[in-house]
Amino acid sequence: MNSQIINEEFLQQVELLQMLIKNNVAGQFGGGHQSKNFGSSCEFADYRDYIPGDDITKIDWNAYARFDKLYLKLYLDERRMHTRIYIDASRSMKFGKGKKDEQSVKIAATLAYLSVCSMDKVSVYVIKDKKVHDVIIGMSGKESYYSNIGKLNDIEFDGDSYISEALLPEKVGYGDGMSVIISDFLTDNNYEDAIDYLASKKRDIFCVQVLSKEELNPQARGKMHFFDSENTDKYYRKNINRDIVNAYKAALDYVQERIRGYCAARGADYLLVGDEDDLGNVFFGKLVDMGVLK
Amino acid sequence: MSLLYPLGLLGLLAIPVLIIIYIIKSKYTEQVIASTYLWELSEKFLKKRRRINRFAGIISLLLQIFAVILISVAIAHPVFAIPGAATDYCFILDASGSMNILNNEKMRFDIGKDEISSIISSSANGSSFTLICAGNTNDVVFENETDKGRALKLLNEIKPAYINSGMNDALATAQAYFDKNPALKTYLVTDKDYENVSNLELVNVSSHEENYALTEVEYSLLGNRLTVKGSAVSYENDAEIEVKLFIDDAEVTAKLLVGGEEISPAKLQLKKQKIQEFTLEYTYVPSAAVAGEAGTLTFKALKVEIPQKDALDVDNRVIIYNEKSDESFNTLIVSDSSTFYIESALLALGNNMFRTITTKEYTSQNTGYGLYIFDGYAPETLPADGAVWFINPNRTTADSGFNVQPNPIDRVGELAFSTSHNSDIRNLLKGVVQDDIIVSSYLKCGLYNNFHKLASLDGNPVIFAGSNLKGNREVVFAFDLQKADIALSFNFTVLIHNLLNYTFPQVVDTPVYYCGDTLRINVPANCRSVEVFTPDSPDVPEPLDAEADTCLYELKEVGVYTVKLNFGSGIVRTVHVFSELPEEERRTTVSAVGALIQGEPSDVKRDGTYDNLLILFIVLAVVFIADWMVYCYEQYQLR
Repeated sequence: MNSQIINEEFLQQVELLQMLIKNNVAGQFGGGHQSKNFGSSCEFADYRDYIPGDDITKIDWNAYARFDKLYLKLYLDERRMHTRIYIDASRSMKFGKGKKDEQSVKIAATLAYLSVCSMDKVSVYVIKDKKVHDVIIGMSGKESYYSNIGKLNDIEFDGDSYISEALLPEKVGYGDGMSVIISDFLTDNNYEDAIDYLASKKRDIFCVQVLSKEELNPQARGKMHFFDSENTDKYYRKNINRDIVNAYKAALDYVQERIRGYCAARGADYLLVGDEDDLGNVFFGKLVDMGVLK
Repeated sequence: MSLLYPLGLLGLLAIPVLIIIYIIKSKYTEQVIASTYLWELSEKFLKKRRRINRFAGIISLLLQIFAVILISVAIAHPVFAIPGAATDYCFILDASGSMNILNNEKMRFDIGKDEISSIISSSANGSSFTLICAGNTNDVVFENETDKGRALKLLNEIKPAYINSGMNDALATAQAYFDKNPALKTYLVTDKDYENVSNLELVNVSSHEENYALTEVEYSLLGNRLTVKGSAVSYENDAEIEVKLFIDDAEVTAKLLVGGEEISPAKLQLKKQKIQEFTLEYTYVPSAAVAGEAGTLTFKALKVEIPQKDALDVDNRVIIYNEKSDESFNTLIVSDSSTFYIESALLALGNNMFRTITTKEYTSQNTGYGLYIFDGYAPETLPADGAVWFINPNRTTADSGFNVQPNPIDRVGELAFSTSHNSDIRNLLKGVVQDDIIVSSYLKCGLYNNFHKLASLDGNPVIFAGSNLKGNREVVFAFDLQKADIALSFNFTVLIHNLLNYTFPQVVDTPVYYCGDTLRINVPANCRSVEVFTPDSPDVPEPLDAEADTCLYELKEVGVYTVKLNFGSGIVRTVHVFSELPEEERRTTVSAVGALIQGEPSDVKRDGTYDNLLILFIVLAVVFIADWMVYCYEQYQLR
């Protein structure tokens, strides 16, 4: 990327955003990530009968004195989550008047920050053609965040991207956190297999669709010959009038609803973000409303 | 088809421009966008368009080209000929006084105009119209006019006259048009019944209604007893009417006498078309509201009126103005001796508006009088704003036009009146009995202005009249009235009457005229401007030539005319005259013998025209503009 999106100013904004979220919402991104399995945290969960071979240090001797029977004290297990963020780095994310690429990077950086603040591991990937490329792997802690997040500036948005074909061969973890896909999803259905795959891996899925202002509300009128930035063989040639613009908006609604519906059916979250939307509103408003941030 | 303005076809040059615009408009703007996915997907959501919409672009162009062609043609104004559809019309509109009569609250004249308007409006395009208006003059208002709008406009502008307009001239004019074009269809629009008509259609707008009139009204005033004589007539039916008398706009109760006998109740019985003479007698009681000074009845105007409404209202009243009431008779008498004789004479002649002061009281600041009488005294300078009479002047006054030898000549002698045939002198001595009039002393005067010498003694002029160098009338008695027996004779009153008339010549000969008469205005000396105000436009002055001795003005309206004579220094003399409707115009229904247009008529019609395509062109222009607006709306103002 030519411009330094992840710069000092942005990081200050993210810090401020994190403080706001701390002060105003019940929890943080991912919460405490308490697992349903019993573990070794300090938080008591339940009793169970002692079975030979159990750790005798966990026996509740007070209960033994009272009931004359051995009980094992159980504690909630607290696991460290691994947030994986996938950025669609196709040319369509960059081309045109919009700043979808910048917005995507900012969203990824902010989500990563919120994750490391929750003591989670964070990995960031880009999807190009049919492959997933590592950008940041296993980042944890703020120090690591500050030292690694600048790599997002190096992402090149070019070429095609096939989300499903790229993700399906990849290791995406199993039940250990959230997978975020940031893309414009201007494709027929190549994300559906990816969502299904992530769902099968018990991942929490969060799809962020980033569209430019021109894509959300096209201003083009009259006789236009549009070429596709990713494939110049594809074009659209029409006299753009009221009917066509109305049809375009209907198509846009259809695409959104299809992604939203597909995600909802699989317990995934979906969010549409404009390239000029204020991130404060996005995280503090929309994500809280959706329950992604608790 | 012909084109009135062929240059309008230059508008067709807009067509290539339109085509160029269309081609430019048709060029696609190329643009690379992030993804065409949504645009392609939108095809599925595009409502199925009607087949005609696929050609919307080219239809728009065709419509615009079509509109440009028609607008250009419209500007070129094509006129389509329709063989034999049009007619040539000639209208003779009677604009005489009787056309002012109301018929169902609408003037006959207006009804006649409506009839003509209707014929013009319903005629075929291309028809020609000629209108002869027989009113004050025999005017051809429009001739062979093919523009209906202009014909109707000119028709709407004409007004009726109040005089008796003969139809002969109008018919002669129509005959001339008929001779040129035997296919001419002639209409005579009038309120008169014609026994014979030939080659014309009679449109009669008259009807039978009540119609009264007053005529021959005059008055006499003897002391405080006012006698008004007049005649009344009912033209259509027997009638019973009232006759009311107004003095200076205030109604007074007067006795109504017919044949010398008082009628009670005071209603006049009229037989149809029989003139009934009547007399109104009014005796003034000084306490009455209309009292003048010194308990004498004076007035500026009398009005006699029939209060009942009838078809023709303008002949139901007569106003007679009293020219003697003019304020210019305000008189200042300057004398140290008795002014009994002169005051008596003025009073006897009905002039009671005088003031008497001594010579010591008189200064040049005494202004604003119509007449200054200096008795036994002559001022150093002449008053500039009024006539001057000198009686026994004691010195010569500059600009007076004569000089006086200081010592009177004491000689008893008989006045020798002028025997000149000069009309002014004869008028001045009119009624004076030239018997022995003795004068015991007189002043010898030298005249260096042009005076009329009325009487002399020993060849010296002793009574003379003329104008002084300030332009005002001047009368001189070069002897003391106390020392002559003239003041005791009947002659004195007669002479003073004549001298007053000379000093204040009557501006108009009579206060009542008939409409159509010519008003003769005698312009007094020193008059700077003469203006006439008509009954219809009482606030708009019509200036006349004040330099002339007399001005002539034709009375064309019924009502009160006002003549204002401006003498400068704020002195304005106002004279009113009343213009009556001519008696021959008072009849609401009149029969005439015949209206004939000689010749053999033709039924050959002229070609009509059809040029009302303009409306269609305007509609197309609107379509053209609407097409552009819809296009712009579609492209740039999407919902």
